[in-house]
Amino acid sequence: MRYKLLTVDDSKTVRMIVRKAFKGYDCEILEAGNGVEGLAVASKEMPDLILLDVTMPVMDGVEMLTKLKSDPALKSIPVMMLTAEGGRDHVLKIAKIGVRDYLVKPFKEDVLIEKTGRIIDLKPLSDAPAKAKSIFDPATILVVEDKPAIIQQIQDGLKHTPWKVHGVAAQGEAIDFCTRTPPDLIVVSLSLPEESAFALFRLVRTNMKTKYTPVFALVVKTETAQQQQAQTVGFSAIITKPIDLGDLEAKMAKAMNLDTSQRYYALEGDTFIMRLPENCAPAVLAEVADYMKGKFAQAVDAGQNKVVIDIHQLKALHMGVIKLLFQAMQTCRDLAMHFVLVGNPQIITECKGFEDTRGWTFYESIEEAKANLGKSPAAAQLAAT
Amino acid sequence: MPVIQEITKKLVSENIHRAVNDVFRTMLARQPEFVSETLHDAGAHAPAAAAGAEANRPQIVGTVGFIGDVTGLIYLYFDLGFARLATGHLLGMTEAELEAADDEVVNDAIGELTNMTVGSFKNGFCDAGYPCKLTIPSILRGNNLRIEPISSAIRDSFCFQCAGHRVVIDILMKVGD
Repeated sequence: MRYKLLTVDDSKTVRMIVRKAFKGYDCEILEAGNGVEGLAVASKEMPDLILLDVTMPVMDGVEMLTKLKSDPALKSIPVMMLTAEGGRDHVLKIAKIGVRDYLVKPFKEDVLIEKTGRIIDLKPLSDAPAKAKSIFDPATILVVEDKPAIIQQIQDGLKHTPWKVHGVAAQGEAIDFCTRTPPDLIVVSLSLPEESAFALFRLVRTNMKTKYTPVFALVVKTETAQQQQAQTVGFSAIITKPIDLGDLEAKMAKAMNLDTSQRYYALEGDTFIMRLPENCAPAVLAEVADYMKGKFAQAVDAGQNKVVIDIHQLKALHMGVIKLLFQAMQTCRDLAMHFVLVGNPQIITECKGFEDTRGWTFYESIEEAKANLGKSPAAAQLAAT
Repeated sequence: MPVIQEITKKLVSENIHRAVNDVFRTMLARQPEFVSETLHDAGAHAPAAAAGAEANRPQIVGTVGFIGDVTGLIYLYFDLGFARLATGHLLGMTEAELEAADDEVVNDAIGELTNMTVGSFKNGFCDAGYPCKLTIPSILRGNNLRIEPISSAIRDSFCFQCAGHRVVIDILMKVGD
């Protein structure tokens, strides 16, 4: 829990509404039923914000606020009044004692969240580090672009993913969309008229629901001034046109904090598979390497000791791939795992051309590899090396 | 007491309409509909009786006062069914959860709805130059409840319909000392 919020109200109903309102946010709610209890909890817990009612038994909110502000240890705690007492003079009188905001009941939970978000850096719970959404989970992507062809290109390029890509042409439509369905990621074209991309970015960042949503800037490759401006403003990533859709997908997955390991590592029956894709760009190799130790350790922990390293989809062999494969083999040896390789004819031929890879033995299918795993002399030799 | 003449029936009516609309729409996501207003001359009345047979159903009545340049007491009469519905909505509780909960939960929710309604009502007076403060809510439960105001009090009753239920609001007010 990052933040502590103290709600001081004699109404259990209000305290429950406050608790309900902040349920989806990374904060702890503390409660007190009157000013005396409120001061005691504030002294003990040092909350990051106090939501304070006025009319309460034992000690009312005005007295509690006065005492709080005269206590050197507590006076810096921000206070937001949450009360049915809303007459102008009353509000002014309380404001003079020192409050950060004043919310008059009845109130909408959204407004309470919005105002709180202006005082503390409130984070939705789903953005907490514990989040582990997978690359195979659905996600909502909003593309704000006034050129339908670009939207179509992104939709087509990501159609193999479970992500739903929605396209809108203007800032207003984007705001409406975000209000209805807060997206997991937003891509905004910087070529929208009247710099509305930057205005939209600011609105997205001030809305509690989208405050932490990754926002990508879409800009023509040669527009360096715009790219710099987007970086300065704080866009999560810059995507240049013409769009490299593979790069876009990788950046999106990273920005959405998705677990992409399942693309490269899988447990199939009693065999652990490590699989490299068709194109192993440096970003892909880095991603595979990042997950490697953890995934192999997980497999061992689950009682697996057979590994198939499958590179049959790979189109070209290069030093990055070779290094990664050596790393995988060494990990197998360190963990006493038996492993075999699966490759396509072209890769097998290319391997024969390098001194270091000449001795590698390949199978042509996973089934064949699995059948020979453990009894293959080559595997036994490698595992024992 | 120059202020007495300035607090008109119209101002009272406007304030209570605004307050009921604000509270019911914001907190219950329901649009209340005005049904009737009863202007009392004097003496005792059972405002809930205006709602006919509904008065005989179990009721929860929330009461909150205001004290200052204008002083008063407002009663909100909810039948038990609507009180439970409103509580469930306010707290995000299911019928089963409400069933398992204590009566205090419904009492507290009605107390808070009354507090908000009376707060919104009297804030209109504060802004019109009559500073006053709220009192702590209290709750009554029973059937066919009847109150008897003192003769010097100004009294108005308003009946609203919301989600098929009647909510009667009884306002007793005194301006000045």
